[in-house]
Amino acid sequence: MDDGKHDLQYALFIHLNLGVAMEQYLEQISQAVVKGDQNATIELVQAAVDAQVDANTIMQKGLIPAMSDVGRLYEQGEYFVPEMLISARAMKAGLEIIKPLLAGSDLKPAGTVAVGTVKGDLHDIGKNLVGIMLEGAGFSVHDLGTDVSPEQFIEAIRTNQVDLIGMSALLTTTMPMMETTTNAITRAGLRNQVKIIIGGAPITQAYADKIGADGFAPDASQAVKLAINLVNQR
Amino acid sequence: MKPRERVETALNHEIPDRCPMQISFTPEFADRLYHDMQMKGRGIHNPHGGGNTYELERVLGEDMLLTSVGWANSYYLDDKPYIDEWDIGWDIQPYQTPFGSGHYTEIVGHPLADDDAISDYQPPDPTRPELYDASRQMIRDFKDEYWIVGVTVTTIFETAWALRGYEQIMLDMSLNPDLANAIMEIPYRYHLTAAKKLVELGVDMIWIGDDMGTQDRMLISPIMWRQFLKPRMANFIAEIKSLNPTLKVAYHTDGKVDPIIPDLIEIGLDVLNPIQPASMDPAQIKKEYGDHLCFWGTIDEQRTLPFGKPSDVEAEIRHRLRTVGKDGGLILSPTHHVQLDTPLENFWMMVNTISNTPYSSI
Repeated sequence: MDDGKHDLQYALFIHLNLGVAMEQYLEQISQAVVKGDQNATIELVQAAVDAQVDANTIMQKGLIPAMSDVGRLYEQGEYFVPEMLISARAMKAGLEIIKPLLAGSDLKPAGTVAVGTVKGDLHDIGKNLVGIMLEGAGFSVHDLGTDVSPEQFIEAIRTNQVDLIGMSALLTTTMPMMETTTNAITRAGLRNQVKIIIGGAPITQAYADKIGADGFAPDASQAVKLAINLVNQR
Repeated sequence: MKPRERVETALNHEIPDRCPMQISFTPEFADRLYHDMQMKGRGIHNPHGGGNTYELERVLGEDMLLTSVGWANSYYLDDKPYIDEWDIGWDIQPYQTPFGSGHYTEIVGHPLADDDAISDYQPPDPTRPELYDASRQMIRDFKDEYWIVGVTVTTIFETAWALRGYEQIMLDMSLNPDLANAIMEIPYRYHLTAAKKLVELGVDMIWIGDDMGTQDRMLISPIMWRQFLKPRMANFIAEIKSLNPTLKVAYHTDGKVDPIIPDLIEIGLDVLNPIQPASMDPAQIKKEYGDHLCFWGTIDEQRTLPFGKPSDVEAEIRHRLRTVGKDGGLILSPTHHVQLDTPLENFWMMVNTISNTPYSSI
């Protein structure tokens, strides 16, 4: 009897401390990502994994809230592109550690997205930021790169079961490729399978409406909110 | 009024006969204009002014002529992929418009991408006399009539990012500031040497530039800008003005940059270009800073010129003249090189409205 009681107390002790430890790990991981401290993120994520913290929990309660904070700080004008880039870099390093573990879990991504700059456009920093922020929000992201033809977008929809396409353009002369691509997706009979969002310096909501895209976002943080809303509508 | 007097008057915050005008074009738009005016173009038109004949600019009645020395001349160097003298790699990117096809030259190779590449990197030599032959000639030919602008844009940050990579130079500014500083010194020193030489040759204004704005905010924080860019720009402006106290200095940056405009005034800037109307309201910027700063640009190249109607172009120019042009201090210009997607009707409406609207009629 006594031994059993001690076992129970011990188990409770371990459980409580593990809980505290887990909360601490997650909080510290979050802080490290928000600060853009890649080394600390790697150490903390590894320590959490070693302490048997579930990879899914590290993602959902450590990395995702951190990138959400980063997006909020960007929208509030406290963070700019460099701060966003170093946080993204830290997040990616943490994600690399848990990715093999996530693959074995039953975690479903928030959605599957393919992003690219449209044909003729090589300016990719906006697209990169959108991709990384979506990844940081739990989306599975296929980065199709730059100068992506309508055929390549269509191929990505067909092969990756994509929920959402994100197209980017910096120039007024390449922006019309968004309409061309949207029309090509429609002609391929795939328009009902995917939501299409667009962004880039000359893009407006009016232009998104004109070409029949599902949405426009002025920055990477707002693109994430838009993507979540659209995917949830499906 | 002679074109140069017109510009000088406006930059002295006084009212000239009409608003001064400056327009640059992509090579393809220049070809279209040559064709439209039944003129015979010679060579590839360089929108930054390096090696140009200035035929188009003079026929159109522009008031400022540009002559460029520096890395910006690496744009549009060839119609097939090339490596410029900075070892920066360029690719050719074709595009289609309703008015024909064109190509951009885009930066794809960064010689300082590796952290230690800087140790044996040799930048080009800005003291080669032949770099200044075209500038010397055009100053001789045109200074009597036109306001001459020595162009050393892509002065610090833009060349630094081409050398290092766009995202990487911004990561460096956070994580490895010593390296970021070392890389920025390279174009800074090159363009300062070039600008000083252009001042000695007799240009009226030096145009420096680095894009620091995105569509709706600064690319980097004002704090970071004050750390890396402001001290260099302050010294650049001070050094070139010490050679000629009447020299004017203009600065180009795309996008929204209003948080640093007071800093720019503080370090001696005279003219801000191009005030992208989709990012900053030119009338508001004039109201806040017009006593200390002149403006060059303000005609929307993102919406009005390519996608508006001629009546939109006319209305926008009249609005600018009434607001930003009040009491002088304005040189009208599109906010970028006119692109091939611009209808000629819009282009001519711009030129004719500026040319035919005397200040007395506003």
